[in-house]
Amino acid sequence: MLILEAIIDGIRDIKDHLGRTLLQLFGIILGAGSIVATFSLSVAGKEASMKFYRVSGGIERIWIGNKETGKITLDAKALASKGLTYADAVALRAEGKEIDLVSPVSQDQMTIRYGAKEKARDVMGVTPAYSPISFFHVQRGRFITDLDLQSTARVVVLGTTRAEEFFGSDDPVGKTISINGAGYLVVGVMEEKYFSFDQKRNALRWMNRNMYIPLTTMMTRKGEPLEQGRISFMHARMKDVKRHKEAVQEIERVLFRQHGTKDYQVFSRVANLQRNESEGKMYDVTFMICGIISLLVGGIVIMNIQLASFNERVREIGTRKAVGATPAQIFFQMLTESVLVSIFGGILGIFAGKFFTQGISMLTENPAIITPGVIMNALIFAAGTGLVFGMYPAIRASRLNPIEALRTE
Amino acid sequence: MSAVFKFENWRGAEPEPPSAEKVHKALIQLERIVKTYDAGDNEVQALRGVDLRIDRGEFAAIIGPSGSGKSTLMHILGCLDSPTEGRYWLDGEDVAALSGGALARIRNQKLGFVFQTFNLLPRATNLKNVELPLLYAGIDSDERRARALEALDRVGLKERAKHRPNQLSGGQRQRVAIARALVNKPSLILADEPTGNLDQKTGNDIIRLFEEVAEGGQTIVIVTHDPAIAARTQRRIKIVDGLVVSGEMED
Repeated sequence: MLILEAIIDGIRDIKDHLGRTLLQLFGIILGAGSIVATFSLSVAGKEASMKFYRVSGGIERIWIGNKETGKITLDAKALASKGLTYADAVALRAEGKEIDLVSPVSQDQMTIRYGAKEKARDVMGVTPAYSPISFFHVQRGRFITDLDLQSTARVVVLGTTRAEEFFGSDDPVGKTISINGAGYLVVGVMEEKYFSFDQKRNALRWMNRNMYIPLTTMMTRKGEPLEQGRISFMHARMKDVKRHKEAVQEIERVLFRQHGTKDYQVFSRVANLQRNESEGKMYDVTFMICGIISLLVGGIVIMNIQLASFNERVREIGTRKAVGATPAQIFFQMLTESVLVSIFGGILGIFAGKFFTQGISMLTENPAIITPGVIMNALIFAAGTGLVFGMYPAIRASRLNPIEALRTE
Repeated sequence: MSAVFKFENWRGAEPEPPSAEKVHKALIQLERIVKTYDAGDNEVQALRGVDLRIDRGEFAAIIGPSGSGKSTLMHILGCLDSPTEGRYWLDGEDVAALSGGALARIRNQKLGFVFQTFNLLPRATNLKNVELPLLYAGIDSDERRARALEALDRVGLKERAKHRPNQLSGGQRQRVAIARALVNKPSLILADEPTGNLDQKTGNDIIRLFEEVAEGGQTIVIVTHDPAIAARTQRRIKIVDGLVVSGEMED
């Protein structure tokens, strides 16, 4: 009953002094706004990176690449090591218990010619595992097969960008294209990959620009014996995401035995994701602290204005006390008012936050989602600020001596 | 309470508590009320041992020059302040030792105030102003409204319920304040210079309203320095130098 009256009083107060109230609420609005912005950007960011991983090979994919050691060594094996080779891929597939797929890739720029068109383009020598490990499949024709590998066949599979580049709207499958002067039969065209963080740019457009030939064919053309053939990088797929650390350790153990030096690097997407998350948390915390500081400042402003309006209202409080309001009732009424005012600020802050979020989202091309949880968070923080900073003015009002209060002019 | 009396008896100097019959007839019973203010080094005695009894249904005035202690007496009668020494029975209840919240409850249930400067809440309607004591008594809104309208009707301002105080004349504002004092059906209405801010004619109307209310059996005490107003009451209690010098009731 009293709470209802207090709320009506509070609303009337906001209405009567709208300008002053808005000024008073500036800090709260900014604070609640930055909390909304922080949460919505971080929630959306996490969701977007998960989605990105899902369409491009999943979080179970591990990347293995070459790395310069920069160390001078006298170890014979280490001196002999030429980085990742096809033999490493074979060893990993034979020994790996934590992984079920290995896809070695050799990448090189070659001259592509079809008809009058001649271009220098990247070509990837791959094995059949490449397609499932990348969640990337042919749309027409077929992908590279084991038979192609065994027979070092001169076949090629095109990404959609390359197919369009050289063949326009014609169907490339069945046609022959020249790569570094040798004729290759186009046996397939990949599906078109699309994923966008900002609804504008395709983050996976590089995949559509690829073209694939059998790894063995590429090694042979480069004149390298298969077993020692150098490869650019490998993908491996772990069996169990929960055992991602073991999978990485296993790969590193096998490679170290093969190379005798750490001239390779292994990254799992799970670890990446976790690192991103902890980095994200740091950003979240930074933003949160900004929000909380704004709320603190906002709270101090609320306290100040409450104290100023308190002097204005000493007679009113005195009157209320004279007609029998207990100190507890006055305290409760004043506090309700502060909380109400800051909730009002919180609501405005949510709109401000929506505005910030859209701004940041547009500037940084990051996605943003405002969820009901985010809104609740902002409101709770705002109301909490009102509660904490309304306490002192409310206590002062409750302790006011009615005789002195009624005597003030 | 008995424990307190035993303690007093042991000291041997304090008067006996009033008999039950006396308490019943008396609405207010003050015994040896002393109020001392601490003003730096020297203490100021505003009341120096006031004995006073006011019975139910009395229409009385407390008069005295400024600085005589009449305001202090009114504050103590109105449970806005506690005496330094002495006993105060209001409506059979010993209120001298109460403080804070308990005094607020007494003010809420047994007292109605009328002030010189009206002290209405400027931003609330007249109806809400009159409802105020009932709000703090925890009475639900329907009953609050009904009783407040009834009280406004008694002072002839039912039609102005939805207006705000600043839309009324001074006399009308004081009527709203009287309605507010009446609304909780108090044992005692205390009016502090209720005509002090009004012209003579309006002041007369207000006193007439008090007379009407007093005729209905309501106990009213008016604090005033105006002899013309005091003359309209049934009994004049004169205070000089912190003591009641005349108008004491003979037993």
